[in-house]
Amino acid sequence: MALIDMRYVQSDDSKICVVMVGLPARGKSLISGKAMRYLGWVGVPARVFNVGSYRRNNTPQPAANFFDPHNEEGERMRRAAAEAALDDMISWFNAGKGVVAILDATNSTKKRRQWIYEKCSEANIETLFVESICDDEDLIMTNILEVKTTSPDYKGQDPELAALDFRNRIRNYEKVYETIDDGEKHYTYVKLINVGSTVIINQIKDYLSSRLVYYIQNLHIKPRSIWLSRHGESEYNLTGRIGGDSNISERGEAYARALPELLRKSGIPPNTKIVIWTSTLRRTIQTARHLKAETGFEKLEWKALDELDSGVCDGLTYEQIAEKYPEDFAARDEDKYNYRYRGGESYRDVVIRLEPIIMELERSENVIIVTHQAVLRCIYAYFMNVPQEQSPWMEVPLHTLIKLTPRAYGTDEERFKADIPAVSTWRGKGSSARHQDYTAANPKSPEQEAPSEAPAEAKEEK
Amino acid sequence: MDTLLTAEIVANSPQFRRKSSIFVDAIHDLPEKADLAPAQLYSTESGRLFHSGRIVIITVGLPARGKTHISVALARYLRWLGVKTRIFHLGDYRRATIPSGEDMPDDYFFVNGKSSSASSVLLRQKIVRKCREDIYHFLNHENGQIAIYDAVNPLPSGRRSLAKEFAKHDIETLFIESWCDDERIIEENVRRVKISSPDYVSWNPEDAVKHYLTRISSRIPQFQTMEEKDLNYIKMINAGERLIINNQSFGYLSNRIVFYLLNLHIKSRRTYFARAGVSLEADSYKADASLSEQGEDYAKKMTECLLAHRESEHRATGEQGETGYEARPLKVWTSTRRRTVETAKYLYEKGYTVRQRPQMSQLHPGVCEKMSEERIRAEYADEVLKHELDPYHHRYPRAESYHDLAVRLEPIILELEREQNDLLIIAHESVLRVLYGYLMACNAADIPFLEFPRDEIIEIIPESYQNEARRIHIPQLPQEIVPASPEDLKIPVPPSGIVSPIQGLNSPQGGASTPQSGLRTPSGIRTPREPERILQEHVEDVV
Repeated sequence: MALIDMRYVQSDDSKICVVMVGLPARGKSLISGKAMRYLGWVGVPARVFNVGSYRRNNTPQPAANFFDPHNEEGERMRRAAAEAALDDMISWFNAGKGVVAILDATNSTKKRRQWIYEKCSEANIETLFVESICDDEDLIMTNILEVKTTSPDYKGQDPELAALDFRNRIRNYEKVYETIDDGEKHYTYVKLINVGSTVIINQIKDYLSSRLVYYIQNLHIKPRSIWLSRHGESEYNLTGRIGGDSNISERGEAYARALPELLRKSGIPPNTKIVIWTSTLRRTIQTARHLKAETGFEKLEWKALDELDSGVCDGLTYEQIAEKYPEDFAARDEDKYNYRYRGGESYRDVVIRLEPIIMELERSENVIIVTHQAVLRCIYAYFMNVPQEQSPWMEVPLHTLIKLTPRAYGTDEERFKADIPAVSTWRGKGSSARHQDYTAANPKSPEQEAPSEAPAEAKEEK
Repeated sequence: MDTLLTAEIVANSPQFRRKSSIFVDAIHDLPEKADLAPAQLYSTESGRLFHSGRIVIITVGLPARGKTHISVALARYLRWLGVKTRIFHLGDYRRATIPSGEDMPDDYFFVNGKSSSASSVLLRQKIVRKCREDIYHFLNHENGQIAIYDAVNPLPSGRRSLAKEFAKHDIETLFIESWCDDERIIEENVRRVKISSPDYVSWNPEDAVKHYLTRISSRIPQFQTMEEKDLNYIKMINAGERLIINNQSFGYLSNRIVFYLLNLHIKSRRTYFARAGVSLEADSYKADASLSEQGEDYAKKMTECLLAHRESEHRATGEQGETGYEARPLKVWTSTRRRTVETAKYLYEKGYTVRQRPQMSQLHPGVCEKMSEERIRAEYADEVLKHELDPYHHRYPRAESYHDLAVRLEPIILELEREQNDLLIIAHESVLRVLYGYLMACNAADIPFLEFPRDEIIEIIPESYQNEARRIHIPQLPQEIVPASPEDLKIPVPPSGIVSPIQGLNSPQGGASTPQSGLRTPSGIRTPREPERILQEHVEDVV
């Protein structure tokens, strides 16, 4: 039988270079970062090539006049940085691992864009230009103050002065800036004007690009949080069995009752509406029951949030699996992300079915999701940019509420533990076939631990 | 208001005119049971999705720019998503008012009051009023969520006043303009959908196209493309080459529509459906077994049959001397289940691209796996009752419902729209049912009952107004593998005969058609329906 291994799910084998276009402080890096995270998460290898960081190798903290188009030395160095970035990108593609590269730079002239387009065409790479235009001065200044003054270019400088210098730097770019126009209509491009209030989409050729464009269009910058929780401890959890559709245990019920207060404690801005999402399995619906009744929030049940289907192993304990299917047990440890339970699903399969959920989450504002361990790992991995090899092994304890707050350059995470004991359902890689005992693995058992008030802040890498 | 005229419009109302059959696309039928949609994510008391309000989608564009194609495709997608959608073609109202055979006044389409006579203005207003009343009725009293108002709407003033009027009723508006300056696309459109009208019988096609275009420009002298920054609009330029989105207040559904339109194209291509071969452990879902010997044999015969069919089609088109015709390449999609991948083996060996799609796995049987109908009835009597009430939405414990499957298949639907090559989909019967249900706009309640005998390949041929399905007989297959899959879920359904989704329309092999042409409702009653071809008439309406 011919083995047709198709790991990736995009429609064609074409390589795409996403070329960002726009003046500084137009959110290009934000879009680049999010797009890379999204692509990586759906299994499309993607990488950002930031021309600024190449330039920084030679001129770590340049003054605004470095960016003056009449400054020949500056111009030459910036061109060299762009060349270095593009060369690295092409060799990354040629190494055969990449599918989407994101070239994050201003690319503000037609000449520069044509040069990129030609270089890519020669290397058989499709280009997708993404231009972000903004003429709302307030929005620009907010962006500068929030983001740019923390940039490595201004490390250790007075933020006010930095902002001023940066505004001048932008003026230098404005002198030569050329927007994408009809002379470039043979390019595939997207133009986003004032955070998507007008969008022009030109010559989209493949499904992956259309998905990317749809994704970028759904991004918004309104402040919001997303809360994640597993269901309360279930009857199956107590006996160490996986899968199934059991009810929650007594302690699980206690968690369900504690959830509304736990959510309040995590901090909700006044007059905030939160939408509750659960799976269609009993244990998540039961866990969200009191929350729904007390708050009156809208609730949706998504089949896509159901637990990973463990096929023939459904309803077994890890010991039983190791005994009945020893090879499968070992194979799963070997590559947990890709291992598909016989007649069931792999983590990769779960990610694919969760994609519409992520699109919907990007569009939505405040949402609390009550779901299952594997599904929660996948959603968490998307927001926190956890690599595929690690995400299936992540520990997500029961009876803990995770609050994620997206920021311009990453996502803040806080965890709130309900003071309600539960079994651990976590099993380390290569460990024996049983759920690890919390007390054994960690001398300080969670039962005795006070609810964590101090938020553990995890900044995503830029 | 002229009551006689109103009565006449009602009697001739589009609701009575458009009836299709199940072997022709049902996109122009009004679903009888409104609460059943193939991929509805959740339901609410009002029947509307709560995170979106009521929207009127208003088309803008000269005739022959593909407005109807876009309206129909959008309605198909939205209805499948569970959004209660109806298309209001203004042309249908005009045709209902002006009896066929009688010509409409020459100045009927002159939007400029000065150049048209008082009686024409009055007539036009009446027709528009009736159409708008129906839209309000649909949105206010029938739980409608999206009304698609299909007309030319050539001027900014008219468009603004439409938006204003709907806003008064708390209804959002989204304009979709189809704008075209590529003569080839326009001519192709005219050739494909317009000159099939009775007006042009016995005309030379080239002359007919020219005549048609002259008539448009003399009858609709003014048209201004959308530049109104205060309105929500999507402008599609040259059939999707470029999209301009003016987003004042796009909600959930408007964004979905953009994504859908990004993938829509107007090239005509075929979709084929074939079942997977028989596997070794046909009654087990979890086993995910390989093909049996019979399955291998089926895979081979199916491949040969399909390729022979395509070859003969290609020859026939060549003989007709159609210009610019090229054979479209064929791609194959399977699920990740072993059986479907292995059924594509011969095609793969012949060099066709085969892609595996995990979303296309069959309906998960949950607890019903390997159970006989008898045992399910004994052990899950309650569930069986519930299932019989609503076989589309009900899920057995741990199982998926058809509805779950439809939601899971949504990304596939979008890629299906995007695909420009011919496509063979090899999948389990349950998956074929849902995909067929989308392409042919089946009522959700009927989807679980569609049957795809293994000795037939289904071919779907898209037309701008509606899709058509036909089937290709695979000869010399052993009888025992033909009927409903033995590996199929043994979900009890009421006693029945065989229902095949389509009749052997124009089957090239002269394939035997099943004697029925009816649709079985869950109660077992058949409602016979006759197919009806709907012709496009020559000029559209301006308002």
